[in-house]
Amino acid sequence: MTSELLNTVDLDDELQKASPQKVIEFALNEFDNIVVSFSGAEDVVLVHMAHQIRPDIKVFVLDTGRLHAETYRFIERVREHYGVDIDVLSPDPEALRDMVRKKGLFSFYQDGHQECCGIRKIGPLRKKLQEVDAWITGQRKDQSPGTRMGIPVIQDDKLFARPDGRLVKFNPLANWSSQEVWDYIRAMEIPYNELHDRGFVSIGCEPCTRPIGPGQHEREGRWWWEEATKKECGLHGDNVK
Amino acid sequence: MTITLVKKILQDGSPCAKCADVLEKLEQSGHMDRIDEILIADERDPDSPGLQLAREHQVNRAPFFVVEREGQAPEIYTVYLKFVREVLEQETSESDELKEIMKDNPDLDFL
Ligand code: SF4
Repeated sequence: MTSELLNTVDLDDELQKASPQKVIEFALNEFDNIVVSFSGAEDVVLVHMAHQIRPDIKVFVLDTGRLHAETYRFIERVREHYGVDIDVLSPDPEALRDMVRKKGLFSFYQDGHQECCGIRKIGPLRKKLQEVDAWITGQRKDQSPGTRMGIPVIQDDKLFARPDGRLVKFNPLANWSSQEVWDYIRAMEIPYNELHDRGFVSIGCEPCTRPIGPGQHEREGRWWWEEATKKECGLHGDNVK
Repeated sequence: MTITLVKKILQDGSPCAKCADVLEKLEQSGHMDRIDEILIADERDPDSPGLQLAREHQVNRAPFFVVEREGQAPEIYTVYLKFVREVLEQETSESDELKEIMKDNPDLDFL
């Protein structure tokens, strides 16, 4: 395995032009201890593509405890359809209990989604990523214009890497549009979450997700009560390269 | 141990709000004197010292901290509260740290 030697910045230049399948193939060739992040939505294409190359691919889901019943059913359908091992991750019970006791079950409507998402998603995610050398996500540039334009296809994940180790993150769908994802789902007859047929484009937790109408951006279906905030923590990509 | 803080100037010449916030927190907690050097990553100048350091360590956000200990590889911290907990050894709650990660990384919204 050559993963220790990967220069993710140079590789990203190359892989930006590659198809998602090629990126996944590269990732799976490079890493044995790699896992796919699946949200129970259209990122099922990652499970499909990875399963074609490695039938025993490992998958995980962040079970926030607030997903739609349809999403839980879909996760089970994917598990059965592909016969893959899906690790369903739960939040730390003490942290969750503490937050709910202090702030109730819908605190995100008052003070933003970051605290709840931090406990329900990021805590379990960080713990899971300590176990692996690489992970694959369904993040796309078009999911949230303005904040995701710089999404690399491959990156050194310093945020979640073990203190003494390295973690590589692959975003094979970074350059695909929502339309391309859906064309692929239909062409390959991939199972999908039934909520998509009811106007849900981006699917997350039940209280924080709503269907959208024609002409609305998918981001408008998530945390719609929050003001769009200006993201300014990223360093300008051209300067960093 | 040497600690370097990199703070950012935006394309329009204005200072980065998160960097100002972190500097204020360091001042208030009396930790400012633990910082050995502050470098500027000026988005208008690719050769500014902060951007050079960001390139060297493949960091794509600011503020960030570089912690160098003798005989060890430099450690990079992009999460302020993690830096406080692990380097300055001040008690911070894990949920505050996770919240900070969420705030600073909107791309994680879609996981
Ligand atoms: S999406 Fe909403 S309910 Fe789900 S973890 Fe985030 S804030 Fe909590």
